[in-house]
Amino acid sequence: MELLKKLYKWIDVRIGAGEIVEKELTGYLLPRNINAWYSLGSVLLFIFALQVVSGILLLIYYVPDADKAFKSVTYIMNDVPFGWLIRMCHAVGSNMMVLVLLLHMLSVLCMGSYKSPREFNWLTGFILLTMVQGISLTGYLLPWSQLSFWATTVATNSANAIPVIGPHLVEFLRGSKMVGPATLGRFFALHVAVIPIGIAAMIGAHLFFLKRTGVSTPPFGRDGTTTPWTGDAYRYEGHPGGIPFFPNYALEDLRSVFIYLALFLAVVFFDPYIFFPRDAFLPANPLVTPAHIKPEWYFLANYQTLKIFPNELIGLSVQGAAMTFLALLPFIDRGRERHPLKRPLFLACAIGGLLLWIGLSVWGHYS
Amino acid sequence: MDNNGRRTFLGVCLGGVAAGFAAAVLWPVYRYLAPRSGSGASAKVVISEKDVPEGEAKFFEYAGSSAVLVRKRGGELVALSAVCTHLGCIVQWEKDKQDFLCPCHAGHYTPDGVVTSGPPPRPLPKLPFSVANGAITVG
Repeated sequence: MELLKKLYKWIDVRIGAGEIVEKELTGYLLPRNINAWYSLGSVLLFIFALQVVSGILLLIYYVPDADKAFKSVTYIMNDVPFGWLIRMCHAVGSNMMVLVLLLHMLSVLCMGSYKSPREFNWLTGFILLTMVQGISLTGYLLPWSQLSFWATTVATNSANAIPVIGPHLVEFLRGSKMVGPATLGRFFALHVAVIPIGIAAMIGAHLFFLKRTGVSTPPFGRDGTTTPWTGDAYRYEGHPGGIPFFPNYALEDLRSVFIYLALFLAVVFFDPYIFFPRDAFLPANPLVTPAHIKPEWYFLANYQTLKIFPNELIGLSVQGAAMTFLALLPFIDRGRERHPLKRPLFLACAIGGLLLWIGLSVWGHYS
Repeated sequence: MDNNGRRTFLGVCLGGVAAGFAAAVLWPVYRYLAPRSGSGASAKVVISEKDVPEGEAKFFEYAGSSAVLVRKRGGELVALSAVCTHLGCIVQWEKDKQDFLCPCHAGHYTPDGVVTSGPPPRPLPKLPFSVANGAITVG
């Protein structure tokens, strides 16, 4: 301990580490009535880090070549010691990341934390959601299984509905007329380089906005520590008399991370194939389309929406309108009230939208 | 137990749990990254005698590394590791000079693997082999 203290002192006198710790950790005060939902952001950071590490480990054995990709994944699963664990962590982790991200968004919606002056936080968060969907979609193709191949065929084909440029866009996305080796190359580059860099940059922006605007006060319970924003000038929403981030809330974050880890590892060890239908174990065959090919659970609502409309363009437009509405929500919902029970219209829309999404997903699953 | 004792006890317990957790994470990662033990190490390599004419050398993979069979003028066979003992480059057979040259730092070896010039500190290791029915079995 003495040695650690000496080392800390040695660093502190050179770069002023103590000042940073005081400003960003022990002196960084949060609302007294902060709740566990606020720790979902930290859980998401942890998941992203885990995805990056497991992804780098997979890169050591994975071969992004249409003739070798499936074999390399089979090799990782069956022959490399603990290869199954690394791959399962990556595959299950991607699903969990979407799930936790949706929960994070839901909590922000319910607590009205997206409202002024946090439009940037919401927008960067929304972009992160679309990027996570993108990284999941591109990663889905990489094992080059029947499921990968045909799910990507169906997903890329939906762009065909866009007038005039649709067919060209599909070919551009695939790198060829059909899904093939060219598609694997570009999806691989997107999955391991372009989108992760984009996500990291967007996380940076998200945290920057959080630090500049300050943590929102939960609308539940009494706080009395907030200095509210009035809209006339920039003002950091501080919480004098609040609880310090370190060690108080950092421990709360850690607790949430461990609860997440317990659930995540329960899936990895006890039901790892929950996200793997039968076609995920067959190598891609461009000449044989399996029956009832379905996308991942979080795209099922989109899939079903495309099916229920007689025209694909209408289906796509409805989805585009819904996504645009969600992205621009802070600019549409301008009321100051943040307590969900005091916003009946919002609550009705939110519950209705959620039920509709769940209903479409279930319908898509069984259709 | 006083407060300090309890604090130390809890700290040690927490440290132990953290160490166990770290080991549970690092061990699979280490095993995942570690080279596969015994991959090809015990495999024997069979080469036809016709592939190694007098005065020539035949390079091949053996036990996860590079090896060479050379038939000296006069017909004697020698099996050697082809990895230079200086910094691990692969030696080349110089047919006209009947010796091995390491192209990295100009180390020279005789066909028996003995260092004749340059920086290599040791001779090339010899490999066991047997000849039967026109086939050379190395290993």
